[in-house]
Amino acid sequence: MSVTSAVSSDYNSGVSNVPIEHQFNPYSDNGGTVLGIAGEDFAILAGDTRHTTGYSINSRYEPKVFSVGDELLITANGFAADGDALVKRFRNQLKWYHFDHKKNLTIKSAARFIQHLLYGKRFFPYYVHTIIAGLDEEGKGAVYSFDPVGSYEREQCRAGGGAASLIMPFLDNQVNFKNQMDPDSNGTAKKELKYLKLDEVISLVRDAFSSATERHINVGDGLEILIVTKDGVRTEYYPLKKD
Amino acid sequence: MNHGPYDWGRPSDDTYGAYNHQIAAANNSQFPKMNTQQPIVTGTSVIAVKYQDGIVLAADNLGSYGSLARFSDIERLLPVGDSTIVGISGDISDLQQIERILDDLQVQDSYDMEKPNLKPEHVHEYLSRVFYNRRSKMDPLWNSTIVAGLSSTNELVLKYADLLGVTYSSPAIATGFGAHLAIPLLRRKVETEEDASKLTEEEAVELVRNCMKVLFYRDARSIDKYSLAVISQSRKKIDIHKGLRCEDMKWEFAKHIRGYGAPQL
Amino acid sequence: MAGLSFDNHQRNQFLSAKGFGSPKATSTGTTIVGVKFEGGVVIAADTRATSGPIVADKNCEKLHRLSPTIWCAGAGTAADTEMVTQLIGSNLELHAMSTERKPRVVTALTMLKQHLFKYQGHIGAYLIVGGVDPTGAHLFSIHAHGSTDIGFYQSLGSGSLAAMAVLESNWKEGLTKEEAMKLCTEAIEAGIWNDLGSGSNVDLCVMEVGKDAQLYRNYLKPNVREAKVKSYKFARGTTAVLKESIYNLVDIEETVVPMEVDTEA
Repeated sequence: MSVTSAVSSDYNSGVSNVPIEHQFNPYSDNGGTVLGIAGEDFAILAGDTRHTTGYSINSRYEPKVFSVGDELLITANGFAADGDALVKRFRNQLKWYHFDHKKNLTIKSAARFIQHLLYGKRFFPYYVHTIIAGLDEEGKGAVYSFDPVGSYEREQCRAGGGAASLIMPFLDNQVNFKNQMDPDSNGTAKKELKYLKLDEVISLVRDAFSSATERHINVGDGLEILIVTKDGVRTEYYPLKKD
Repeated sequence: MNHGPYDWGRPSDDTYGAYNHQIAAANNSQFPKMNTQQPIVTGTSVIAVKYQDGIVLAADNLGSYGSLARFSDIERLLPVGDSTIVGISGDISDLQQIERILDDLQVQDSYDMEKPNLKPEHVHEYLSRVFYNRRSKMDPLWNSTIVAGLSSTNELVLKYADLLGVTYSSPAIATGFGAHLAIPLLRRKVETEEDASKLTEEEAVELVRNCMKVLFYRDARSIDKYSLAVISQSRKKIDIHKGLRCEDMKWEFAKHIRGYGAPQL
Repeated sequence: MAGLSFDNHQRNQFLSAKGFGSPKATSTGTTIVGVKFEGGVVIAADTRATSGPIVADKNCEKLHRLSPTIWCAGAGTAADTEMVTQLIGSNLELHAMSTERKPRVVTALTMLKQHLFKYQGHIGAYLIVGGVDPTGAHLFSIHAHGSTDIGFYQSLGSGSLAAMAVLESNWKEGLTKEEAMKLCTEAIEAGIWNDLGSGSNVDLCVMEVGKDAQLYRNYLKPNVREAKVKSYKFARGTTAVLKESIYNLVDIEETVVPMEVDTEA
């Protein structure tokens, strides 16, 4: 079918001559938001429990932060099918690592391995923001975050997913004390960095998520916080607004 | 008469010229490989809800061909093994392919095990991976499914899986239009697992039947004839009731509605 | 030249190709409903306004006054619902003054639909119009392209299916005012909980024959935010004062003028 009609006008140039192709879209967005913070001797990884497509809530409780053993926490937030596939592959390979080497996987090695899992699909990426949390070889809290194709970095804190842009500036200010001066220095010295205690971190996480729930439609229903300390992994749950 | 499949339904070649066989023999041709690009004959919503002793599922019997109500006897609640029901919406030819895949799985299971061992958690894992692998080949099975049943530990399993490989679990699940029309009604009664544990079987069946009625009122690709499955934990049994009809519908008030605005003469 | 002008179409295409797309309007991805009862009509709305996935306003007003007895709930583009409603409200009052009659709901409906039809859907207003006039109580819905509909119950917006599911389940003939208010509230709530485009509170407006309309702003508030865990009060000096300069823009002078006061009596 030709669109070059007998009637020619100025408006024709705006009309496409190629037929519109309907193509299968292999991706979707399942909403939610996640957040990892490293403390001095602990690390947390938190996520809301709402699972969505479009304007619908699929489930009010679908966990997306997992404890995979070896005191490692992982989440891959974005397109849920890719996230699940990535976590499944990681769990499987971790099992094989134990069989082959009879030792725990360090978080440093886990991070490098996840880079390879992600980059392995460089040209058909896992549409996820991946964050892992745990303790490093010295027992200090560690958080690593990844972009969809595997670029990663160790950080003190990182928010991922839909409301990352709402939460991250809050974290910069409250965890890394960005834009805060030492009140007694008369504006000459920056507020000194210090490790936050676990209960302070949990308070920040709860406030970050209840605030994100207020202003982001894909965030809500419930908050699940996984906490790693030298004593192991613990889970806390707090309800969020359901509207 | 040429009986070659490529020439079925085509007028003689003198009218339109020879058929370009490369279109169908898609590989290694000037055309890209063709996969399912859209569903053709389709089934609408499947809905499911947990109650204190099990799960109730329902799906109507219509097979739509675009806006044509083409088939009215399609069965979309498939029993798999003795403790699983898979409810399927979307493309019907892909439904039949899934039926075949799951049948193969049952046969395989019966070879390996002395007694049936295929449980809903296995069916869901298998099915969702079939979906994810097919989507990753850009050749999807165009369906949304609900897997329900009694697990190996006699726990309730109610999970969703679709053409993208997306999965989730909830005490009330619906596919397609049901996600918009039935879910709000189901969640009014069953928002949490705790709510489900208070709902009786009679209440659950009534709730699901009301949802099917609302779907018939408002989903233009639905029909008032449907199947309803009741999975019972205590009876360790699944009953599928077929050919149910929407009942107690309200149409009486419609005769009072005249025109669409200013009074019509 | 008669008819619509598309003079800017090419320019806009050029600009959006250069990365200057048209600004995104605040959409009231909304749930709105209306229900008739014996002797009047109720309309209701949620109070969330969104811009993409961001909540732009947590407590906006979607119920607009067209006349003291005719109100209108708006979904779609926020600016369009407000402006079209103000324009028709004004014209309705002028019309009422020139005819020396009370405004009628069909008049409002006809003015709205003719205005919207003229703009061929480019004014993105989706409205539920309810009201009372000398001919009784009326309830209509209008789509952005100008089509209208009558009914005993209506719902519109992204949460219209959630709301309609409740309306279809619980509506009956001959509702009382209180029953209609309850039904409207429940329908809006279905939108608030199940539709991500809707949220926060329920606004309600009751119009009874022979009375002025009664607006119940925030009739139900099921989404009050709980207190934050932590206080975010910053110590004085957290923000550096880099420079300080104080200007006296006004000289203040005080003069005392003695005044005689009568101390007796």
